[in-house]
Amino acid sequence: MKRVSVILIVVAFAAVITFGRTELSFWYAWGGDEGKALLNLVDEFNKSQDRIIVRPVFVPIGQGEKINTALAGSSTPDIVTIWDWMVVPLGENGALISLNDYLDSAGVTEEDFLPGAWTYGSYRGVKYGLPTTLNAYAFMWNKSLFKEVGLDPDRPPESIEELDRYAELLFRQDTRGNIRRIGFLPNISHIYFYVFGGQLWDQETEEITANHPGNIKALDWVASYYKKFDLQKIRVFQATWGEMASSYNPFYRGQLAIQEAGQWELLFIKQFAKPDFEYGVSPFPAPEGGREKVAYLNGSFWAIPKGSKYPDEAFEFLNWLTASHQSARFAAQLSNIPPKVEAINDPVFADNMPQNMEVYIDMLTNGYVYSFPTLPIGLFYMEELNQALQYVQSGAKTAERALNDVQEAVLRELKRYE
Amino acid sequence: MSSVAKSRKRESRIGLLFLSPWLLGLAIFTAYPIIASLYFSFTQYSGLSSPRWIGLENYARLFQDQLFWKSIYNTLYLAIIGIPLAQILSLLVALLLNTKVRFLSVFRTLYFLPSIVPAVATALLWKWFLNPQFGPINLLLERIGLPTPGWLTDPAWSKPALILTSVWGVGGAMVIYLAGLQNIPAELYEAAELDGAGRIARLFRITIPMLSPVILFNVVMGVISSFQSFTSVFIMTAGGPENSTLVYALSIYRNGFQFYRMGYASAMAWILLIITSIAVLFVFKFFGKYGYFGGAEK
Repeated sequence: MKRVSVILIVVAFAAVITFGRTELSFWYAWGGDEGKALLNLVDEFNKSQDRIIVRPVFVPIGQGEKINTALAGSSTPDIVTIWDWMVVPLGENGALISLNDYLDSAGVTEEDFLPGAWTYGSYRGVKYGLPTTLNAYAFMWNKSLFKEVGLDPDRPPESIEELDRYAELLFRQDTRGNIRRIGFLPNISHIYFYVFGGQLWDQETEEITANHPGNIKALDWVASYYKKFDLQKIRVFQATWGEMASSYNPFYRGQLAIQEAGQWELLFIKQFAKPDFEYGVSPFPAPEGGREKVAYLNGSFWAIPKGSKYPDEAFEFLNWLTASHQSARFAAQLSNIPPKVEAINDPVFADNMPQNMEVYIDMLTNGYVYSFPTLPIGLFYMEELNQALQYVQSGAKTAERALNDVQEAVLRELKRYE
Repeated sequence: MSSVAKSRKRESRIGLLFLSPWLLGLAIFTAYPIIASLYFSFTQYSGLSSPRWIGLENYARLFQDQLFWKSIYNTLYLAIIGIPLAQILSLLVALLLNTKVRFLSVFRTLYFLPSIVPAVATALLWKWFLNPQFGPINLLLERIGLPTPGWLTDPAWSKPALILTSVWGVGGAMVIYLAGLQNIPAELYEAAELDGAGRIARLFRITIPMLSPVILFNVVMGVISSFQSFTSVFIMTAGGPENSTLVYALSIYRNGFQFYRMGYASAMAWILLIITSIAVLFVFKFFGKYGYFGGAEK
């Protein structure tokens, strides 16, 4: 009898311990060391209190196939990790809850965030997600190659005309006409839209401005590089480039002299490039009347699905995870940038910053910060711009016509969502 | 009711009972989604919130969508050139491997192996084979003095590159042709030889007509699978360069998942169903007229 009652007490105790805590399912998308860093944070949260236990599940985002299916059904995770372009379509279609009220009561406001990071991912004032960490892009050049062609290795081009000249100086092809080195190739076209004074949308009115005159000038300039150096030869050359996260990265191997570099390159170069690899980082050069220090932001988001049975607890966890100290630790591990101002100054991030990160921080705090507009139509706008670039590269359309078409197509698509 | 009829009725009821799990599965996982997608094709549907009826608007927009026509052109190009090429090659290989050579089973295995390599692995492998600067194919072409196309990087050569990749997998059809060849009665060949028929005549008057059912099967399967081709394109080119490899299935995927236009994608899927049905119907009619199915009655 005594043995039975002891067993019963133990079982009841265990049941209370397990079932007494609210269980949250957290879908995260990082593997390897980055994933481990996040799992450590989750562990810490679980140990720090006894009301909530978070169960992390590794779910790579892909194009959202698995996530869309889960969110359309009734058994959803409580916190989900998604790409920025997914936040608004999912939110506007009722798959995510709005975080505005939660953020208000938790006292989290715009001032806590870096410029541009608060409105990033929101649409018409509604925030359906919080950025996990941020990526920013800067102008990066190979100092040794600059020296090789007689350029001052510590002086980046200070205007678009200089950039054009540098690109031509650094270009190399072999005797059979195959490209051996590209000086510079504009890749993220919309950065130059802003550099040339254009914009993807009017952030105040949230109106699409695909055919802004600055954009047209920029697109012409971007396409000119592909025409100047031969589109087909460039494609063939690009097919010889190795993996980005390896020692075969074309920038580390000298196949590309200048690149648009996300801040993670500061870490990757240390890991994958040769020890004597010398590089410089600066904001993007601008033309007369253009914008200095254009900073393009992107990143992934955390959101709470509408189907979550414990949204209050989910937000409590999310608020903890995105608090400055935790954010600083996570971002430092990923070599990304935490979205909150206090996190940037947190010693855990500030003291472990790789060399040259100050350039990125400066661009984000003092520059012109923008992110790709997050709209209810997902990747449609971005895909239309890709198409437009292709038309202009091949000469099938002028930049003006191509961007007018984009404007029309995106407006039409947006209207269908009204 | 007689006892024979009663037991037959009972037998069919038991049979139906055994069939019911499969029938249920068919109804729930195949029939229901198909009918649901027909409904969605007439709606504005993001895949997440309730669909909104818009009648034929998706279909009307499709016919005005340049990329829609481009994807149909690309898919038909791959099908019209790829299927005959694959069938001729696999039949040729099957004929060769139907003779008594040494190491026959080794050769048959070697030719069959590529078709069981997973699609993703094949795509990655061929992406390297076809690399314009250091892929083995261009190195070989250069060695023998032929021009070296840009393959997957050149809009003019990207589709031929995809066809080349798919031809690598003829082993599957080859095995089926081999089986068909074994079933051709030897007396027919003997009789033909006695009448003085040469190799070519025997091929076109006996082999191919007797293989009609097999060819029909392979061509129909080829039509269905090439209209749905997705994996190699997704991995090797993502639809580029310049949409030259934007195949129909890739376009459906993009519209459904990246643009949240599930209604539009459903309309595309149903148009594909109609096109595939017409193509298969055409194939059956063609074989009805020119094929020989007399071998069945014996």
